[in-house]
Amino acid sequence: MVIEAIAASDAVFGADKLLATAQQPQAAAGFGNWFAGELNAVNDKLISADSDMQKLAVGEAQSLHEVMINLEEARLSFQLLVQVRNRLLEAYQEVMRMQV
Amino acid sequence: MDYSASFAISASGMAVEKLRLDVTAANLANMHSSAATPDQLYRPLRVVSQEAPLEFARQFDELYAVAGGGAQVVGVEPLNVAPRLVHEPGHPHADARGFVSYPGINHTSEMVNLMTALRAYEANVVAMNAAKVMAARALEIGGQ
Repeated sequence: MVIEAIAASDAVFGADKLLATAQQPQAAAGFGNWFAGELNAVNDKLISADSDMQKLAVGEAQSLHEVMINLEEARLSFQLLVQVRNRLLEAYQEVMRMQV
Repeated sequence: MDYSASFAISASGMAVEKLRLDVTAANLANMHSSAATPDQLYRPLRVVSQEAPLEFARQFDELYAVAGGGAQVVGVEPLNVAPRLVHEPGHPHADARGFVSYPGINHTSEMVNLMTALRAYEANVVAMNAAKVMAARALEIGGQ
């Protein structure tokens, strides 16, 4: 991984400087899109878990354990989202503390 | 194999055990159901379940994963047991000799089935919780 990073810096300082700077905003947009997609997926899971709970309360649910497992999956995916957000914020603050 | 696959395996086991409990409850409920003719008499039921194979696409992905994808119900089959004959001459369903036939349900084995299904369901819940705890521990990697 370290070697790749060195190779990447070599490419930036080398002849392909223009290409590297052109690729950078594209990569950032890719991560943003990916994160928004994951956020939507987690939101969908939470909404479906909520509707499952409503069905259970009304008495339409077929099996109790399916509802509970859906709830647990929604909780786990939300926790994963929170952890990703924590890492992002940590990285951002690390960059902001950097002495220039 | 992702973490939701282990949830699905436990869920399939829970569904099978739930059906087993339902069928046992039906057997116990029909313990004293008589019928006019022997053909209409209730026959005790048993759940037949077997290992569920993984669907093809996932078999392709997960050659190194566990062999099975949980359990599945093959069918609910009636048992071939002789009816229990009770001498009740005044009963509307009594035959010419005064015998009423009731389903030949073994009360003891039905109760044992009930408890086995309950314990197996509990075991599936424990396995699912273990998978959940494992996933939650994985989320703690690198945390403060």
